[in-house]
Amino acid sequence: MMADIIFLALSAFAIAGAIAMLINKSPIYSALGLLITMLSIGGLFALLSASFLFMVQIIVYAGAIMTLILFILMFLNIKEEDLPNEPKKYPLIGLGLILMIPLNVLVLKAISNLPSKDLGITNTDFGDIKPVGMALYNNWLVSFELISILLLVALVGSIVLAKRRKPKEKRGEQ
Amino acid sequence: MISLTSYAFVSMILFSIGVIGVIARRNIFVIYMSIELMLNGITLFFVTFARYHFNLDAQIISILVIAIAAAEAAIFLSVIILLFRSKKSLDTDVFNTLTQGENS
Repeated sequence: MMADIIFLALSAFAIAGAIAMLINKSPIYSALGLLITMLSIGGLFALLSASFLFMVQIIVYAGAIMTLILFILMFLNIKEEDLPNEPKKYPLIGLGLILMIPLNVLVLKAISNLPSKDLGITNTDFGDIKPVGMALYNNWLVSFELISILLLVALVGSIVLAKRRKPKEKRGEQ
Repeated sequence: MISLTSYAFVSMILFSIGVIGVIARRNIFVIYMSIELMLNGITLFFVTFARYHFNLDAQIISILVIAIAAAEAAIFLSVIILLFRSKKSLDTDVFNTLTQGENS
């Protein structure tokens, strides 16, 4: 009973944050709405007894990525005239809504035919850091190494992208 | 009792809002955040199925998705900084440097 109320509150917060991200004009308010969504999804992970993923979501998404987005937004010092004016925003949102309805109906119809199970919090160590780490390093080692190479490439690439334009920038400022 | 369908409903709504954001908005930051929202909705789907089948592999795919999202954030935000410095705008219609001719 308690879990139902928590689930309803968290999903309402997640959807409200996503809608706030969609319709706000200023990107700062959009980022704050997305932050609410990330935290609520972390809570839903905890409700699904994925405790390690709950921590990863809070630390990596709500902590690192959203801080990076907010930092870049404040670093760029965005004024009102930098923002694009979007006269067709609400008609396009309606169009997207109509386009997404068939996919949603299809997926939900397929899901609702599956046999129902209790998705409450378990007493076992399912989703703790030890079983997840055992599965990660035993069965998914190649993917893990490839992800580390990908992160290294992204690191080097972002440094190269940020460094290359510097002399041109100095000339452009005069 | 919370069923599988209610979790699927929430994650499909989040994914759809992400797709609508990519379609409807022209602010490049909001488009990036919509992509993040799509990844989050699918991650929630994966974790729901991990709990449903009591299998940890889907949670590990979710961890890989989060790592890919972090790499994507680094690249995407540095590209946004480059574009904003050269064009002084966040409008996606201004970023036509790859088209031939009409570009200054």
